[in-house]
Amino acid sequence: MTAVSLRHISRRFGDHVAVRDLNLDIESGEMVAFLGPSGCGKTTTLRMITGLIEPSSGDILFDGESVLSTPTERRGAVMVFQKHLLFPTMNVAQNVGFGLKMARVSREETAERVKEILELVDLPGLEDRKAHELSGGQQQRVALARALIVRPKVLLLDEPLANLDANLRITMRHLIRSIQKEMGITAIFVTHDQEEAVMLADRVALMFDGVLQQVGAPDEFFRTPRTTGVARFFRNGNFLRGHRRGSTIHTDVGPIEIVSTSETVEDGPSVLTVRPEEVRLVNEETDQENVVPAVVTSLIYMGSHTQLTVTIGDTPWQIQAPAAFQARNGDTVRLLLPRGHVSIVADDDTATTGSAEATLAEGSAVL
Amino acid sequence: MTSTPMTARRIRNGLKIPLMLAPALGLVVVLFGGGILVGLGQSLGYFPAIGLNEFTFSNYTTVLTDRNFLISLWLTFRIAAVTTVLSSVLAIAFTLVLREKFAGSKITTFLFQVPLPVPHLVAASGIILLITQSGLIARIATAVGLMDTPADFPALVFDKGGVAIILTFLWKEVPFVGLVILAILQSVGPQYEEQARTLGANARQRFRHVLLPLIMPGVMSTSIIIFAFTFANYEIPLLLGVRFPSTLPVVAFREYQDPDLALRPQAMAISIVLAVVAILLLIAYRRLARSAVK
Repeated sequence: MTAVSLRHISRRFGDHVAVRDLNLDIESGEMVAFLGPSGCGKTTTLRMITGLIEPSSGDILFDGESVLSTPTERRGAVMVFQKHLLFPTMNVAQNVGFGLKMARVSREETAERVKEILELVDLPGLEDRKAHELSGGQQQRVALARALIVRPKVLLLDEPLANLDANLRITMRHLIRSIQKEMGITAIFVTHDQEEAVMLADRVALMFDGVLQQVGAPDEFFRTPRTTGVARFFRNGNFLRGHRRGSTIHTDVGPIEIVSTSETVEDGPSVLTVRPEEVRLVNEETDQENVVPAVVTSLIYMGSHTQLTVTIGDTPWQIQAPAAFQARNGDTVRLLLPRGHVSIVADDDTATTGSAEATLAEGSAVL
Repeated sequence: MTSTPMTARRIRNGLKIPLMLAPALGLVVVLFGGGILVGLGQSLGYFPAIGLNEFTFSNYTTVLTDRNFLISLWLTFRIAAVTTVLSSVLAIAFTLVLREKFAGSKITTFLFQVPLPVPHLVAASGIILLITQSGLIARIATAVGLMDTPADFPALVFDKGGVAIILTFLWKEVPFVGLVILAILQSVGPQYEEQARTLGANARQRFRHVLLPLIMPGVMSTSIIIFAFTFANYEIPLLLGVRFPSTLPVVAFREYQDPDLALRPQAMAISIVLAVVAILLLIAYRRLARSAVK
């Protein structure tokens, strides 16, 4: 059980910055997911924690002590790779017992602990099998057992479930989660699958292009995404621009009331968002607040619901409508954006597209 | 009712592969097998061309009881064994260095592989020019004052231990083994070692428990080829060896070429013994290697 701190970690490969000034504190016994698209620097970060690569700058602390000068083999950060990498020349028992053999643990104790850990990962009695005689899921469990047996300070999992089929992945998620909780082990895993991150992790750290975007409990990424990019990664592309005054956002389609947060967010140009599943369709006569008109552009029946695409003004929105919902393209519908579900996001697009957006913001301010 | 055409097809399919292999197989069996059979016959005293028609083991008893034969056999074995072991060990050592990325690693890898296409004969001439007592190294050493005269240089070529022979073989075979190991290392990648490392294995342990078991099958099969090749090689020991003791292939060919045709059955007996010993050694080696890998 070890707390891990990453302090201003950066890593450059030539001109390419893979990880930029990353700061994160991981508590002892916590399970954290590094989430992000491929190439975002999450695996690089994991490898820096193991010591397989060194950060270009910054420090890594285990329980407050810098481990940068401790080589990988003595660091106690054990990695489970995406390919399970069972040693092909060894059987299951030899693979699982590898770390103990390296630490010169006696044969008797090794055999005992191998037996124990194989029961824990639900593979009792497979000691004599060769790696190639196992299914993908079994190999993954052996790889997990091989890591757990050395009682790592930190368990690192690099896309551990990526090579498994859908059903097996769900079983393995439960297994990994229950073992991690039971052993109280500090664990960090890398994934590009937001569903997996949400299901498995105590906290999620989302990275784009080597930069940490948002860290928090899984539900925060749904309720209060920090930026448009974060919202998009969690499958929410509903954005509406406006101008904020107090707890009201003035948009082209009318004022939208928000729950005023304790955080002091400055008045001015803002982007609001509501998740597709929180937007409600209401009928004509309603006089509720936060109702905006929208034009239907497409309808896809999904079985459990109907996926409705509309435009508010000229902005496309996705809405999860009831399965029985009927409408034609071009119909006008009325949408309720429930006050409790409206959140303000920082606009990533401004940062990337620069002055054009800034001019737009200035224009609306003049209005 | 349905089984008859099925069976016919199965027979046809079953015959297809032997039939397709027949031309190549025939060539090997007739030329190679025929040669061995004639040689075996002559070694057993069946040589009608010079009027020998009686089967006898006397050639074998003559050869096997000859002390000079045993000296040659030991020399041949020693050269092959030393070459095999040294080329494997050196190749492993070289490839461990070569797979690291360092300044000039590409050119070094290229230079390492230069000997591969060079014929053994050329390699032998090169060795002569380099390390005889009148060779380049001896002259340079004398010129810079390390020795008084080139003759002080140790006799490595035309020596009884076969040092020059072994050196030539090594120059040729180390890159050969190295090529195989590099190919294995490339396909395996660094990941197994990284995995072992995070599990607490230090550099020595990673080599001993992860890398070596991965490359050993490749090293074993190439070393078998090298042993068989050097054990039966003729031209290198002929060029770089002393007149006595000679390696067995040299002795056998010398007797084969002797104007006295009566010596030919003995030459054949030597060749057959050479082949049998080589086969026995290789079988024993394979057994040993397999149990060692496990």
